Amino acid sequence: MTDFSFKELAVWGYDRPTVEKGYAGQTLHVDLERLQTTAQPVTGQMKEIFIGGKGFDLWLLWQAVSETTRWSDPENAICISSGPLGGTPAYPGSGKSIVTTLSPLTGAVIDSNVGGYFGPYLKFSGFDALEIRGKFNGQVVVFIDGIECQVKILEAQGLPDNAYALTQALTDHFGQGSPRGISVVSTGPGAAHTRLGCLNFSWYDPKRKRARYKQAGRGGIGTVFADKGLRAIVARWDSVSLDTNRPADKQALKKVAKLHAREIVELDPKQNEMARIGTTHLVPIMNDFDLLPTHNFRFGQDPRAGLIGKDVYRQLFDPGFDGCWMGCTVACSHGVKDFVPVTGPYAGQRVFVDGPEYETIAGCGSNLGIFDPYAILEMNFYCDAYGLDTISVGTGIAFVMECFELGLINSSHTGGLELGFGNRTNALELIHQMARGEGFGSIVGQGVRRMKKIFAERFGADEALMEDIGMEAKGLEFSEYMTKESLAQQGGYGLALKGPQHDEAWLIFLDMVHNFMPTFEQKAEALHWFPMFRTWFSLCGLCKLPWNDIVPEDNNESQDPAKVMKHVEWYAEYFSAVTGRKAGPDDLVRMSEAVYNFQRIFNLRMGYGTREHDRLPYRAVGPVTELEYESRSERYDKQLTEKYGVDISGKHTAEKIALLRKFREEQYEKLKDAVYQRRGWTADGVPTLETVKRLGIDFPEVVALLEARGVAG
Amino acid sequence: MIRVNGKARPWQEGMTVSDLLKTVKNAHLYAVVRINGDTVSRPHFAETRIPDEAEIYLIPMIAGG
Repeated sequence: MTDFSFKELAVWGYDRPTVEKGYAGQTLHVDLERLQTTAQPVTGQMKEIFIGGKGFDLWLLWQAVSETTRWSDPENAICISSGPLGGTPAYPGSGKSIVTTLSPLTGAVIDSNVGGYFGPYLKFSGFDALEIRGKFNGQVVVFIDGIECQVKILEAQGLPDNAYALTQALTDHFGQGSPRGISVVSTGPGAAHTRLGCLNFSWYDPKRKRARYKQAGRGGIGTVFADKGLRAIVARWDSVSLDTNRPADKQALKKVAKLHAREIVELDPKQNEMARIGTTHLVPIMNDFDLLPTHNFRFGQDPRAGLIGKDVYRQLFDPGFDGCWMGCTVACSHGVKDFVPVTGPYAGQRVFVDGPEYETIAGCGSNLGIFDPYAILEMNFYCDAYGLDTISVGTGIAFVMECFELGLINSSHTGGLELGFGNRTNALELIHQMARGEGFGSIVGQGVRRMKKIFAERFGADEALMEDIGMEAKGLEFSEYMTKESLAQQGGYGLALKGPQHDEAWLIFLDMVHNFMPTFEQKAEALHWFPMFRTWFSLCGLCKLPWNDIVPEDNNESQDPAKVMKHVEWYAEYFSAVTGRKAGPDDLVRMSEAVYNFQRIFNLRMGYGTREHDRLPYRAVGPVTELEYESRSERYDKQLTEKYGVDISGKHTAEKIALLRKFREEQYEKLKDAVYQRRGWTADGVPTLETVKRLGIDFPEVVALLEARGVAG
Repeated sequence: MIRVNGKARPWQEGMTVSDLLKTVKNAHLYAVVRINGDTVSRPHFAETRIPDEAEIYLIPMIAGG
């Protein structure tokens, strides 16, 4: 155990407001430069337009930064909020925190939805949202004590480096014998040395007597956190019940919560078994449908996928309740106990690994040509401990491996590391290098967009080829689904506000497998409704899994099965019961629409947010190489002849690739047109004045920004 | 006899998942089924035979992410 000590730099006492109808009514602002803490009231307009969660975060961040702010500037804020429904113990998936900041990968706003107890504890301590700005020259811990009603800024010395040991130490220190009342937000050394830093949010697992973790992974939020000198933010709270949010109609809340919780208990064992195997059920299914990324998204299938699928992890996961929030019946946050890493500082020691989930299996496994579940576990463990995002790490190393195999880089560039697909030892070494900020790993830790530039400038690598195979958009690495055969999912990734993360729209099955949306108009409608409804979860402090991962048995007989409207109606009842604001399903979508458009305009303010920034690497759209084309030549030949009317007789593969590319890229541009129109945006992808007025976000600075960009009034 | 979503159904020698789905309403919406705990995806429906006494769940939708 490391000896550590704290020095109080500032202590701020406050009167804790009573939470009413899901809101504490104020936000907390901590300035690490001035060592000041203040509270600001939550206005009626904030609740009406921004709802909470990501909405509140964006509003606070908008006021904190200017159009010239960069991610490492002191005024860039990290904002964390739950939402009005967050902290409800009886309703499944109701403990989420949403984090936003300006991303070191994209330069624009990044948001991440994460489990653990922090967001609810923050709210019950008296604050609907937290904004941290400024930088501290040293190491600092912010302690929000909702029981003693104090916020302390503490200078720290001697704290453990990695996130696991750090969180456990802080849980023991601040828990004072009640560790369940502590939630820690932290990162690790990888965050300080790369742009891929994640945040670990903890909760205490009383059965296993240890802190457990979920990650706010995407976009380098952990990197901003480390750059501020922050080692951790700790929240302390007491017990939680259905009354803690003081819902407007407790009986209605109990009724709808019980309906949804019971349905999951009954149906999850028959459907995806998430309470037993988490999201690992997706591995074999994605593989069967040619959707599991392998070898840097070249292919969607590999005969070895069964080696890293649910059957393996069913055996490895430690059985027991694994909910990242109290009483959640999905309870999908599984882990592996007594795992023994073979590399790095924990080599030979028994550790507990929180995970892996599907994304980590695909990102650190199949996409690297690694089909060893133990290597994946080790990468999962070290990424969390070092504070690194497993998705960006996986997609980044996949790009490196393909560049290596194509001869774009070689071992003289990588410090002697052989980095062909499947090299698990050297993939792990890259992760250790990222944590130390050393060697070739420090280049990989810059992310795919910057690697492309570095490889071209320093190593003379082919820029055009790297543009096609480097799986990033807007600067963010792709999450782990193949999109080549789903135009709607190309839109789901390419049009996503923060970059290619699937939480905004996951339409592959609806489009490619079920063929629910054959026309552009239908795809555009889906790319309107689904991102809006999914956004709503992050406004309210919720997880989206209970909505459509376990569905009613009669769902297929409903008019619009993809939307799982029975659950949407339950969510409207849930919102009404807690907040007292009567809402139906359409109202939920309208709430999101305002925040969604505001975030698009925020991107515009930061120099992005237009059509050119919604581009995709061609690997996401179609086959780049002859190897890819020829591996599925029957499919591609058929499309060229039947869909596009091309006579392919006598044509070489390279010619067919070029033709297919022309058609597919045209389709994606047409899709953009249709989606922009449906969303009420200009042809350049900017919300019109009419749209912002309709949504009530026509603030003077928004209107001025749009007018300055030539959007006519 | 087999059980499909908890309800008894007759079984026939050589019966495949595709055969079963021909008798199910809105069968096009099922991309995955579970047979005695093992998942089978649509690309394998035609070749996967259902054993007698099988416990089958038709998985309504794969939502992902």
